[in-house]
Amino acid sequence: MSDIVTIKGLKYGLQLTFAKGASFDDVQANLLEKLQSGNGFFIRGTTVFVPKGYFAEEQNEALRRMFHRHGMLFSTELKRPNLAPSSRDINKAPAQKFKESVEEAQKMMVINRTVRGGQEVKANCSVLICGNVNPGAQVIAGGSIDIRGTCRGFVHAGAFGDKTACVVADRLMPAQIRIADLVARAPDEDIKASQAERAMIKDNMIIFEPVAR
Amino acid sequence: MSQILVITSGKGGVGKTTTTANIGVGLAMRGNKVALIDTDTGLRNLDLLLGLENRILYDLVDVTSGRVAYKKALVRHKKYENLYLLPTSQVKDKSAVNPEQLVTLCDEMKKEFDFIIIDCPAGIEQGFKTAIAAADTAIVVTMPEISAVRDADKIIGELGRADKENVKLIVNRIRPQMVEKGDMLDMGDIDEILSVVCIGQVPDDENVVVATNRGEPVITMSNSTAGQAYKNIVARLCGENVPFLKPQKEGFFARLKKLFGLL
Repeated sequence: MSDIVTIKGLKYGLQLTFAKGASFDDVQANLLEKLQSGNGFFIRGTTVFVPKGYFAEEQNEALRRMFHRHGMLFSTELKRPNLAPSSRDINKAPAQKFKESVEEAQKMMVINRTVRGGQEVKANCSVLICGNVNPGAQVIAGGSIDIRGTCRGFVHAGAFGDKTACVVADRLMPAQIRIADLVARAPDEDIKASQAERAMIKDNMIIFEPVAR
Repeated sequence: MSQILVITSGKGGVGKTTTTANIGVGLAMRGNKVALIDTDTGLRNLDLLLGLENRILYDLVDVTSGRVAYKKALVRHKKYENLYLLPTSQVKDKSAVNPEQLVTLCDEMKKEFDFIIIDCPAGIEQGFKTAIAAADTAIVVTMPEISAVRDADKIIGELGRADKENVKLIVNRIRPQMVEKGDMLDMGDIDEILSVVCIGQVPDDENVVVATNRGEPVITMSNSTAGQAYKNIVARLCGENVPFLKPQKEGFFARLKKLFGLL
C-alpha cells in the first residue's frame, strides 16, 4: 500500500505530498500517527510545506495547529521562513557558518566622502573610507576598516567578534578604537600620528604598528 | 545674477549675526543691492547690530503669513541706501515660519536684490532647516575652539544631507597670541578637520563689541583689524583673490604700554 503522505526533505524544511484521492481526515490521521511515532523526520523547529491551495483554508489552519503543537512551523509558501531558523540551519556545521561570515567580511563598503561628526557608518562587511573620519563620527564594521585619510572619530572593527579584523588609516588617532570585544582609548595628551598605522589584536591587546602605503 | 547666502554655525555665540551684518554692509558699500533676512525668530538681534530696531514696522512672520507684502516689512539702512533688513518677530517662535514659505519669499526677492543674506539661528532644529532651505551658498562660521569646530563639522554634514554642497568657512575670533602659544587650535587643524574652502580669518577685536553696542558694524571702522578682515571676506565673495591677513603679533611697544597700564 502506498503511503497517504509522502515526506521529502528540502533545503529549508519538509515538503509534504499526498496520495491521490486521500481525504483530509485520512491525511490528518496519518500525519498525527507519524508525528507521534517520532520517526526522526519531524525535528522541532522544522518548517513543513504543503502545496498552496491543496486544502481549504480552515483545513490548513487545522494542520497548522497540529504542527504547532509538535513544535513545528507550517507554511504554504515554498520559501525560507524568517520567523525562526530551521533546524537545518541550527545543525549546520560550524565550518560552513564560519565560511559564510568570512565571505560576508570579505565584501567591502566604499564611502567616498568624509564622515563628519554626528554621522555614522555601519556595515556587516569591511569598510573603505576615502576621506577623513572626523571627531564625533562613528564607523562600525563587521570586518576591517581602511581609512584613506585621518581618523579622529570612533571606530569599531570586527563588531561581531572577528579578532582578525584591523583598522588602517593614513593618520590613526581615534578617540576610541574597538576591535572585536576589546576597547582602547586615545592617550589623554595629544599625540599626532605622523605615518600610516594599523591597529590589530595581538596577545589579547590592541596594538598599533606602522605600515607602508 | 543674484546670490542667496545663509550664515550658519550650529553653536551659538560664534558671531553669525555679526558676520551677517558686516558682510551685508560690506557688499552694500561696494554698490550691491543687499537684503538681510533675520530668521532667528524669538531671539532677533540683527536689527540691533545695524541700529535699526526703532524703525521696524512689520516682520518676517507678517510677510510669510501673507499679512503684508515683503516690501512693506523691509527696513532701509539709515546710512547705506541699498542695504535693507527684513527683521523677524520677537514674540513668535521658530515654528511660525516654514522652509517652503522662505523659499517662496526668496524667489520673489531675488528679482530685486543682488545679494540676499539669511542669518540662521543656532542649533540644527527647525529654525536651521528653515534658514538653509532657500540658500545656494552656505557660510559656516566657527571659532578656534573644539566645541565650535565640532558643531561646524556637524553642520557641514547636515548641509550635505540637505544637498547644499557650496559651503564656505569663516573662522572668527582668532587670538594670534594664543594660537602661537598652542593654547588655541590653529588654522591648519581647523582646515584639516572641516576641509571646506576658507574665505575668512577674523581676529578677535574689542572694536567688535564697541561697534555692536553702537549699532554700526565694525567693517565701517577704518582702524579695526576685524573690520579689515571682513572687508577681505567681502572682496573674496565678489570673486577677488585677496591674501589672508598676517596674524598681528603684539609688538614690543604694545607690550610695554600694557605693562605700564597695569602698573
